[in-house]
Amino acid sequence: MAESSQSKSGGKKRPRSESEGDPDADADAASLQSIQLENDLNFTDTAIALQMMKAQFPKLDKVVVRPFILRSQLYSSVKDRTQVDRDLESLKKEAVVRVFKLNTGKDDHAIMFMDDYLAQMENAVKRYDAKDKQLSDVFDWFKQYVIKSKTDVSISHPELCSLLSNGGDVTEKHVTLLINAGLLTRQLIDQNLYWFVIPNIGSILKGLSQGRKELLSLINRTKYKEMVLANLEKKRLRLSPLDIRFHIRDLIGSGLLKTVQSPIGLLIRLSRD
Amino acid sequence: MWTWKALKQREDGLLRPSAFRRGVVSSRASSLQLSNAKEFISLHRGAINSLEIDSTEGEGRYLLSAASDGTVAVFDTHRPTSSSTSSCASIAQHHPLFHLPRAHKFAISRALWYPVDTGLFITASFDHYVKLWDTNSTQVVLDYKLPAKVYGIAMSSIATSHSLIATATADVQVRLCDLASGAFAHTLSGHRDGVMSLEWSSSTEFVLITGGCDGAIRFWDIRRPGTFLLLDQSLSQLGTRPPLLPTPTPSNNESTSLPASSKSSSSTPILPAQKRRSHKKIQLKPPTQSSHPGMASSQNRATAHYGAVNGLRATADGFYLLSSGSDSRLRLWDIESGRNTLVNYEAMSIQTSKPIQLAVTPDSSLVFVPCLASLKAYDLWSGTTINTYRGHYESVNCCFFNAQDQELYTGSNDRQILVWSPSIPAATQIEEADSKGGITSIDQDNWSD
Repeated sequence: MAESSQSKSGGKKRPRSESEGDPDADADAASLQSIQLENDLNFTDTAIALQMMKAQFPKLDKVVVRPFILRSQLYSSVKDRTQVDRDLESLKKEAVVRVFKLNTGKDDHAIMFMDDYLAQMENAVKRYDAKDKQLSDVFDWFKQYVIKSKTDVSISHPELCSLLSNGGDVTEKHVTLLINAGLLTRQLIDQNLYWFVIPNIGSILKGLSQGRKELLSLINRTKYKEMVLANLEKKRLRLSPLDIRFHIRDLIGSGLLKTVQSPIGLLIRLSRD
Repeated sequence: MWTWKALKQREDGLLRPSAFRRGVVSSRASSLQLSNAKEFISLHRGAINSLEIDSTEGEGRYLLSAASDGTVAVFDTHRPTSSSTSSCASIAQHHPLFHLPRAHKFAISRALWYPVDTGLFITASFDHYVKLWDTNSTQVVLDYKLPAKVYGIAMSSIATSHSLIATATADVQVRLCDLASGAFAHTLSGHRDGVMSLEWSSSTEFVLITGGCDGAIRFWDIRRPGTFLLLDQSLSQLGTRPPLLPTPTPSNNESTSLPASSKSSSSTPILPAQKRRSHKKIQLKPPTQSSHPGMASSQNRATAHYGAVNGLRATADGFYLLSSGSDSRLRLWDIESGRNTLVNYEAMSIQTSKPIQLAVTPDSSLVFVPCLASLKAYDLWSGTTINTYRGHYESVNCCFFNAQDQELYTGSNDRQILVWSPSIPAATQIEEADSKGGITSIDQDNWSD
């Protein structure tokens, strides 16, 4: 991936050439932490962006969660949003990544690499001690039949049962076990549809929505509703375990913040509309 | 400046007249600004919910506006009624030709011209009534009582064999009202929540497209019962037209969406066999009993948006459909294959409670979307923001693009109708102000019509 990323980004020169050198260097995980966010805001390839952001995922002390990337963060990094959507769709179909719909906000989606998700699932299953050992086969069936073939964000009850029954006899208790382990959630609008979810992510999602609000209020309190990016990055958010770079990218991508070039450097401004 | 050079080229025969016209129209459409030559004096005392210009051939002249206080007004967009003179420029003012103060008891959600001529217009309101008015006498000719508040109405502009008004209400059924007989023609059921927006197809007179509060977009052929196509946002195609060679798609993606006997030829025939093999031990509900293509999809829960679908607009060529949802996304669908083209229209925030009116230029290059207090123009194919029009003080509800003059009219909660016209170069304005003895912006030939 490192070599291919170098050749790919080298082939597409863009006018803002100071950002081109960085994807090459970024493949080296050790130097990632030292690269300023300012240089990372332009990419030409969705996959490179995903890899980079996965490597920059903050280390959390209380909860063990594999790295995930929000869709709005991708939009902030890659210029052409339609291309991001299309690339993401092909990556989904090839089962390289998995997309999950989050319940924070209107159109939030989290992207996780397939191997990360499977590892996360393993951890969750291990931690969830199933009382009835027979029922715990359902986790293997889920992994083997459902995850591999259904690449959408949601699944309906009849389809879930039909896919699981490839492994064996499925009853309602199996589905309950899946829900209790945190792998599926019922949809609020429709009783028969389930969302796929990342298990054990609840506290992080709470931190996500609170961190967003805190960051927006931080910028709102300034006199001209803007801040220099370098100063903003040094701050720490009280309410969110995720670091501020994560939130800045997310808010830029969803349009609530915008970046403005200025003689001082990059400014982050609250977008009014 | 483009136009002078292009004019010379047209004279020399290097540029075809139709290409010249297209170039002028598209450059005007992408350079809209708040008009400093024209304004509408709106007497409405409530939010403006609907704007429409009549679609008579060659002359789209009369603007019909409807507001939340139950009033309807018609403006003449060509001839101003007076003008306000100021020191450097004069603004042509258009007062309403007539203003009906109590057309409905509650808010009017939509007002439409009769597609054939301006002799009739139709209004739909939250007081459960759809009324047909005679324009010259401003009297109600027919009215239809519906069971719930009406969010939208539509009449097909290409219909020759029927004159049906399709009504979208808070009730789950879409009712078709017949103008010729004055009664209800049929009822289309299939939505699981109220219907917020609807549109007739611009290529066939029998196809109706409805968008519901449950987030589903359904296509109905009114000659048969049932939906023949349901748009699913997870079915997508990479590119604005379906690929020429059939790409191998994972079969499970198709199994829950289009019925087996659907119109699109891209569904592989091995699907039913695979589904049957997996029904080993679980007793499921039997697969949808589709006796004919229109009947399927009562079990289909596919959604086109994660919230309510509050705006629908088909492009003039009938190939694409734009839908806006309360999840603040605008999606472009390829009608023939029924798939999401995944064009991403940059960040917007769409108001969630009311249906909004989108506008598309007739050459399908720009789409205008009301986003809270501003209006954004996006390039249809790439999704980039071309322009943001900020002028209203409160949320914009409706917009209409006048293709004849390349002007955009917007109505919002602040009770104003704003006109956005192509920016006139400064040279013309100075010339006009210099001429003595009067206002040159009004057409002197008032007698010609």
